[in-house]
Amino acid sequence: MSHNDTIPLYQSSQSDIDEIENMMNDGFQSGPGTVLPARPPSPIRPSIPVSSSPFVQSNLPPLPPSSSSAAQKVTPVPAPPSLPPAVNFGSSEGSKTIGFGSPPNTLTEPVWDTVKRDLSRIVSNLKLVVFPNPNREDPGKALRDWDLWGPFFFIVFLGLTLSWSASVKKSEVFAVAFALLAAGAVILTLNVLLLGGHIIFFQSLSLLGYCLFPLDVGAVICMLKDNVILKMIVVTVTLAWSSWAAYPFMSAAVNPRRKALALYPVFLMYVSVGFLIIAID
Amino acid sequence: MDPSQPPVENYANPNTCLFHVLFKGAALAFYILSALFFNSFVIIFVVTVLLAALDFWVVKNVSGRILVGLRWWNEINDLGESVWKFESLDQESLARMNKKDSWLFWWTLYLAAAAWLILGVFSLIRFQADYLLVVGVCLSLNVANIIGFTKCKKDAKKQFQQFASQTIASRFQSTVQSAFTLV
Repeated sequence: MSHNDTIPLYQSSQSDIDEIENMMNDGFQSGPGTVLPARPPSPIRPSIPVSSSPFVQSNLPPLPPSSSSAAQKVTPVPAPPSLPPAVNFGSSEGSKTIGFGSPPNTLTEPVWDTVKRDLSRIVSNLKLVVFPNPNREDPGKALRDWDLWGPFFFIVFLGLTLSWSASVKKSEVFAVAFALLAAGAVILTLNVLLLGGHIIFFQSLSLLGYCLFPLDVGAVICMLKDNVILKMIVVTVTLAWSSWAAYPFMSAAVNPRRKALALYPVFLMYVSVGFLIIAID
Repeated sequence: MDPSQPPVENYANPNTCLFHVLFKGAALAFYILSALFFNSFVIIFVVTVLLAALDFWVVKNVSGRILVGLRWWNEINDLGESVWKFESLDQESLARMNKKDSWLFWWTLYLAAAAWLILGVFSLIRFQADYLLVVGVCLSLNVANIIGFTKCKKDAKKQFQQFASQTIASRFQSTVQSAFTLV
């Protein structure tokens, strides 16, 4: 959970973070029984979060104030402070009264904020995985904030596109595409784990899902133009793009001698999806 | 009006309760009724799974926080390991939570999972692999929430017990200390 990855969109939020940091530093020094203020002292500003924790962690000792403060700023809480931090029960009365004293927000506003936050996370993950950027060499850092919404949308979209392009057996096409991609992602992850690689299950699922984005684009193009030569070119290009996107993460996860063993099945899966795209008419 | 009857507690958060139940019910209803209206499996699949995913998100992010004061998520720490984090309100706030809300929360969670299980058995009997896929996805989403929140509740209890023993120990210590200073 590195605070460094949070990019505040507004300059002024930085000072609020510092403010909260100072408060927390004072608070922490006075002993383990203190409680962080539940309500951020300034209006919540959108920023690209790394972690989604609004409260002090229950499983960690007092963590770096900056990350929790940044997260506090970002995460909207429906009745914001009605959930004061849990861990340090040794409570100041202050936080509890702040907790229940504030008027609860309507449900729509904070839900919208949470939705916006999740959407921005999807976009940032997509950019990290699929497009060239400086963080690619360090896979652990890049997809730190994995989420499965992006992959879900991409898999469903690919299935729908393929199903739309098919003139017969639309349902089977969709079901096959979805099952192939979902099961394929799970099996590829297991493959890496069984090769003795160090990868986190959901992170890898998330990665493989995001790497489907180029194939999605390719499928849409193929759906619009029915020329076989064009299809082959488009599919080859997007296939190469997908494999290039998946390469650093997968190869970094395993022993260098087993790199090919880990990467080949990924490539194979994307090739089969590519064939599916070409063959649909 | 019967004066000896205790006042009945109403739902403290009716909107949240509504949403909590809404998506679950919509997913189940759509799945069951859709066979009557739609011929296309694709639509059934996409809409049901979408509703189930929305329900998962709502329960995890919204109703869990508001109705029972629990929250769980997964993080990857700096060492690259995945850590499951559980968050809960402190004990007093938990005790103050509306009983009806939490009853509704837990029971609808369990009932929805049971309903998907039964539907899964049906589709298994009928050898419909496609529908089994849908049911499988929805069931796994529900079960994930159940497991997450149950673990969170246990963690909260453990935290509270630790805290209780800690306060008792520290209070004992301070009493002993003050006893010694008085002597």
